[in-house]
Amino acid sequence: MKTLTQIPLGTQLLFGKAAKKRRRIERAIFSVFERWDYDEIIPPIFDYYDVFAKGMGAAFEDTLYRFIDREGNILALRPEFTSLVAKSVATRLADHPKPLRLCYCGEVLRYEAPRGGRQREFFQIGVEHIGGEHIKSDAEIILVAIESLKKLGIRRFQINLGEMGYFSGIVERMNLSRDDLSKIKTLVDLKDTVGLRLELERLALSEKRRNILLSLVHLTGNSDTLQAARQLVSNEKSLQALDHLEALLVELKKQKVEDHITIDLSEVRGQDYYTGTIFKIYVPGLGFEIGGGGRYDNLFKNFGCDFPSVGFSFSLERLMAIGE
Amino acid sequence: MKETITIALSKGRLFDDALLLLKKAGIKIAESNLNSRKLVVPDTQKRFQFFMVKPIDVPTYVEYGVADVGIAGRDVLAESSADIHQPLDLHIGYCRMVVAAPKAAARQDYKELSAVRIATKYPRITTEYFTHRGIPVEIIPLSGSVELAPQLGLSDRIVDLVSSGRTLAENGLEIVEPIMDISARLVVNRASYQIKRQAITGLIEMLSQVVEKE
Repeated sequence: MKTLTQIPLGTQLLFGKAAKKRRRIERAIFSVFERWDYDEIIPPIFDYYDVFAKGMGAAFEDTLYRFIDREGNILALRPEFTSLVAKSVATRLADHPKPLRLCYCGEVLRYEAPRGGRQREFFQIGVEHIGGEHIKSDAEIILVAIESLKKLGIRRFQINLGEMGYFSGIVERMNLSRDDLSKIKTLVDLKDTVGLRLELERLALSEKRRNILLSLVHLTGNSDTLQAARQLVSNEKSLQALDHLEALLVELKKQKVEDHITIDLSEVRGQDYYTGTIFKIYVPGLGFEIGGGGRYDNLFKNFGCDFPSVGFSFSLERLMAIGE
Repeated sequence: MKETITIALSKGRLFDDALLLLKKAGIKIAESNLNSRKLVVPDTQKRFQFFMVKPIDVPTYVEYGVADVGIAGRDVLAESSADIHQPLDLHIGYCRMVVAAPKAAARQDYKELSAVRIATKYPRITTEYFTHRGIPVEIIPLSGSVELAPQLGLSDRIVDLVSSGRTLAENGLEIVEPIMDISARLVVNRASYQIKRQAITGLIEMLSQVVEKE
């Protein structure tokens, strides 16, 4: 029988040197998390489908490994930790003093095409900083990420930093359907100006609005980019997003890490729950990001409370792939 | 240390136009290198490394980051759905992707055909195009000479690229409907875009200036 000898696509087996390396990386990162006072949380590997679908958004629904329990409820294997941690905190730790610093490490499962460095089962290791002060906690988790990389001996890396509020402020006033918004988000993220132009024409948006979105794709660089970004918009939300980003950069400059940071206001890819700071981490020589995160101020509202939070995670598989 | 940018070039219908475009942007490859069988060649100023790959493989090389940048047709990009940046239309390699059928059957409505057999090099694009319109199709994936399929009875219609229309006409086919306009795009690996940002945005700027002049 083939099922006894073949392996399912997108899974891995580690043993010997690889397994030792994996645990070494895990321990090193956890030691950094501990130093910053993050406590481990170990949530279950599955939960009700809605927990993930609601928070992460339509783009992730198709990647969920769903199954049905004996009572007919739809469950799913966790595709990530953040929404699960949010639910766990909302239901069991809501009264815990804030800010609440939590960290985790474990398998996540996504039914994706196993290409471009993706596995169907992979390990995330990350932190959530719940209910802390806005700019200070955004800066803190970025510093935790940077220290983790340095602890692993990774000196050359880049953090591509954006702010979802800037994009949201622009598209909010356009009254787009969920699907149309998703399409525009994807095109902006891919920097596909041709596709974006066509889609904006199809949506019959005003020339002014089209130009704003088309210019957004080019808003990448360093702090000078923020000047250009300011001149492009007039809505409250986008301007506030830029204030946040500037304040965050000031904090990061104080810690002398600004050389690792690049600004990219077209960095809009990711779960629907991201509302503010958003970033991806890259290292030279690896074609895919090794981790990322961002601020998610509204996620806890899905679970009945209100804790603006921020977090990030690394993919252990991708960290293993560095320097090979 | 100046970093070189690696570029995957499609050998095939885009090759000559791409070289011309690069030349106009000041990027030249030595004749001796072009005429050799080498698959990795530098430009004359050693700022870039070119990989000569099959058109269908360009998105793969770029997605995995072994090539920072690539030049590929929109047909290849749409079919591969690779997760890569597409920052520039190079306005070369113009053609169209169309549905074509034998002259006799070209006027038939899809409602009259219970299920349509479509031969194509682009199974993903074709499936999406028809299922999107609620038309049941059976896809016959081929890797070349697709115009042959209807006359041999392998398929009712085809989805293929057309520029002058001569190949279609010579095989007794005519266009039923257009699917998309095709031109070549510059594509960039996500990580490379960030890590080698200055060099890559410089390259995009150089090429877009040339493209604009055309």
